[in-house]
Amino acid sequence: MNTRQMLDRLDAAPLGLSTLWEGQSATVDFTVTDADMRNFAELSGDRNPLHVDDAFARSKGFQGAVVYGALLVAKVSQLIGMKLPGRDSVWVTLSMEFRKPLFVDQPAQVEGTIVGLSPSTGMIELKLTLRAADKLLAKGRAEILIVEP
Amino acid sequence: MENKAIYERLTEIFHDVFDDDSIVVTPELKAADIDEWDSLTHIRLVVSIERSYKLKFSAAEVGRLKNVGEFVDLIQMKAAA
Repeated sequence: MNTRQMLDRLDAAPLGLSTLWEGQSATVDFTVTDADMRNFAELSGDRNPLHVDDAFARSKGFQGAVVYGALLVAKVSQLIGMKLPGRDSVWVTLSMEFRKPLFVDQPAQVEGTIVGLSPSTGMIELKLTLRAADKLLAKGRAEILIVEP
Repeated sequence: MENKAIYERLTEIFHDVFDDDSIVVTPELKAADIDEWDSLTHIRLVVSIERSYKLKFSAAEVGRLKNVGEFVDLIQMKAAA
């Protein structure tokens, strides 16, 4: 494990089941840049022009290149892995409904709120919302299993 | 709450969780009887039952169950409380 990996791991919140409650929430603020889009196109192999070509996206009625839905899911991953519930967890279910597009350089926020907690199994259910300028862009649910030592 | 209705609902839950409509849910059914019944599907099963009946169990309550019949007894006890 290198120093960066060690620091990243230390940054992940260690929230155990006993410190979680229904209604608890956390957020991640982010802005997707051109560089993020290029990196994601490379990583995923998805070079759909809707995501990488502003002119093409505008021809389809959008104001510019549409941020990859999976890149938004990556921010959900950050929320779950680093903040709520953080380190001692494994993600087992995700459903997302994308309602409006997010565009490059547009500030956004993903929020997770615990809406279900099963003490018998260690499973928590998160309600997810993704907003930009107070508009709901996407919503969803995730189930996360708390894995305590 | 009638036993028959509970077994009918549990049958739907088992079929969904194990993705197997051939499973016959009986009081004697236990984890060893279904190949796919591992720790994660067990958690999925318990969570599905908790949600379906809007009940919450403790780890100790679930941990001492030996078969479906005992789970049905637990559901009835919790629902009546």
